Amino acid sequence: MQVYSVPKSIKENSTFTFCPGCDHGVAIKLVAEVLDELNLRENAIAIASSGCSVLLYDFLDVDCIEAPHGRACAVATGVKRAHRALKNDKFVFTYQGDGDFASIGLAESMHSALRGENITAICINNTNYGMTGGQLGPTTVMGQVTATSPLGRNRQYHGFPIKTAEHIALCEGVSFCSRVALYNVKNIINAKAQIKKAFEYQQQGLGFSFVEILSTCPTNWKLSPSEAHKKIEEEISKIYPLGIFKDIKND
Amino acid sequence: MSEKQLLKGNIAIAKAALECGCSCYFGYPITPQTEIGEYLSLEMQKRNLAYVCAESEIAAINMALGAASSGAKVMTSSSSCAVALMQEGLSYACSDELPIVLVNVMRAGPGQGYIYPSQGDYNQSTIGGGNGDYQTIVLSPCNVQEVVEMTYKSFYMAQKYRNPVILLVDGLLGQMAEPVNFINNPYEEIDNSSWRLDGAKGRPSREIHSLEPEQNKLNQHILKLSEKYRYIEQNEQDFEEYLCDDADIILTAFGTMARVAKAVCNHFREQGLKYGVFRPKTLYPFPYKRLRELSIKAKLFIDIEMNLGQMLRDIRLGVLSNAQVSFVGKPVGDWLKKEEIISAIENIAKECHASL
Amino acid sequence: MIKNFIISGSGGQGVLSVGSILANIFMLNDLFVSYCPCYGAEMRGGAVNCEINMSDSELLCVQNDKVDFVIALNQTSFDKFISKVKENGTIIVNSSLAKINKTRDDIKYIFAPLTQEAMKLGNIKITNSIALGVLSKILGNFTLDNVKLAYEKILKNKAELIQKNIEAYLVGYNYIQEKDCIQCQ
Repeated sequence: MQVYSVPKSIKENSTFTFCPGCDHGVAIKLVAEVLDELNLRENAIAIASSGCSVLLYDFLDVDCIEAPHGRACAVATGVKRAHRALKNDKFVFTYQGDGDFASIGLAESMHSALRGENITAICINNTNYGMTGGQLGPTTVMGQVTATSPLGRNRQYHGFPIKTAEHIALCEGVSFCSRVALYNVKNIINAKAQIKKAFEYQQQGLGFSFVEILSTCPTNWKLSPSEAHKKIEEEISKIYPLGIFKDIKND
Repeated sequence: MSEKQLLKGNIAIAKAALECGCSCYFGYPITPQTEIGEYLSLEMQKRNLAYVCAESEIAAINMALGAASSGAKVMTSSSSCAVALMQEGLSYACSDELPIVLVNVMRAGPGQGYIYPSQGDYNQSTIGGGNGDYQTIVLSPCNVQEVVEMTYKSFYMAQKYRNPVILLVDGLLGQMAEPVNFINNPYEEIDNSSWRLDGAKGRPSREIHSLEPEQNKLNQHILKLSEKYRYIEQNEQDFEEYLCDDADIILTAFGTMARVAKAVCNHFREQGLKYGVFRPKTLYPFPYKRLRELSIKAKLFIDIEMNLGQMLRDIRLGVLSNAQVSFVGKPVGDWLKKEEIISAIENIAKECHASL
Repeated sequence: MIKNFIISGSGGQGVLSVGSILANIFMLNDLFVSYCPCYGAEMRGGAVNCEINMSDSELLCVQNDKVDFVIALNQTSFDKFISKVKENGTIIVNSSLAKINKTRDDIKYIFAPLTQEAMKLGNIKITNSIALGVLSKILGNFTLDNVKLAYEKILKNKAELIQKNIEAYLVGYNYIQEKDCIQCQ
């Protein structure tokens, strides 16, 4: 009996090229599993972004366009609306980092959420700019040492970070908004359920759905994979609490 | 559709876009092109087409990028300082080989400048402000009838070459109304089924991206784009000539300024001086070939622009060294008048006139 | 043959719509025509103007230093555009809102109380059409059919409004004949 196989939505023979212990691989695999389960692969168009998340199309076996840095939600808006104008409904989602979604692209992200674009955004929050070597980003927590906050993030000098999911939940056009983590099996199962719900809400035409995934960055955090996961469990998820911030079906 | 209508340039662009099947428009208001978006907002909603009041020009060009990947015909429009915000998107669209029509109805710059008309975006359009080896096709109409024809041509060339096309319109022409004979779109449809993203059903998945970590692959990609640009340069140079065949002195101008140049040319012809007018209709690819031929006979070229000499560089590159090149221009505002140009030329061409 | 016109007044006087109607009439007469409205901040403070050019061959100059005809619907426009009239050109001035004053002796003046005439017809908003009638009489080459067609193009199916404007147009058209407007060389 076969108990496990690679999701169909993952390209054959692909090997994740992320750093050891990075949660990107898990997140992409969850997305692929949900695409399979909802039978979306042949109707989906993914929007990759700048940063480590750009590698999405190396692994995911769906049509994919890479957006300029920060513009994934604007590109997704164009893709979704164009297909609707051509009388097709495509399943459209973005896969972005926190720098892409909540810093350089905050305007595009927030306005897509406000308009209630019927798309899904997945945001990997690893509290720094990973690909460029771990600089201070919009989600770097207070006190966190990064390549550009060598003495730790400081209120007076750097200012505060953004609680992305909490802000997105305030937008009227949002159907579903949650924050998940991947530091243990229970959380991974929960994360998959939330991604699935977000995708289903788009299928049902309910508006903008959003999942923020707390992710490790062992290389830049200078921690081992297990220490990095422990950091999420004990520190990061206390600052960025897990949970559902908006669900129009329950609110 | 054959009855003549008095149409503003901006409205003519919007109508022509609908006529040739534009199904997506994304834009942000800026004078003097706002009527394009205003007109399309109702017409596209009525037809269930895609229209988004974008939060910025950056968002607008990126929405256009996404929409173009679907194979739909896509347009955005803006003006000068806001087209500056779209330069990144244009560079991506060139690398991604996505067909986008960008209408730039020019206003005064640099910076915020003002809403006065100008032709100050020649360099921005033909050279571009984005990164890397890329080229956008640039068309320049001189009257509202041509605005319609070139809107059709913009969509066609964008699809044919899978490249952004800039329709570069003088602010004056966007705001001005002239009688238009609304001809049907003469261009064939281009099949895009081999590249568009419409879901990986019954075929391998497709990727559209400009990122390429492998150096060789990236070089190959850029060289392939370059080959396309060289092909466009060989095959798409377009221009209008007015009394150039026997001309000793040729006035060069683009857009509406070329009309004033014709009036100036008529004035000197009446005095028995052999003037002509050469007007590039494609600013990229620039019609160097014909300009070079004309410079075998013509002794003097006088470039006239509503800027401080942006096309002048291309004129200098185009004419042979035996011919002189001179310039009459003004940065922004009320168009240079026929009389102003005539008196400027009488100074410039004094010696040349005496020798003729 | 080339003729150019500037129409100027304040916001609400129908400057742009009558400019557009004039341009449409020329188009219906199979002439080349351009119509350039002022736009944006130029209009702030309520001043509105437009330039119309007409020709029987390709129109080359759509913005001109001097024009053959100016219609000034208020004092500000009169003051601003009198210098734009060509030698031997004509300025039509709304004497209801501008003082009769001749600062140049190389142009023709037509002073007509356009606003008062419009009020007599019970609608101040048709001042512009009376002015068009005056201009039309001077030009002498429009057919009433084309004038009606032009109004229909702009005002679409508002039959009553079209009728009212044609009435105003005719008042202007007949004004010069019937009354002694102050006209001098």
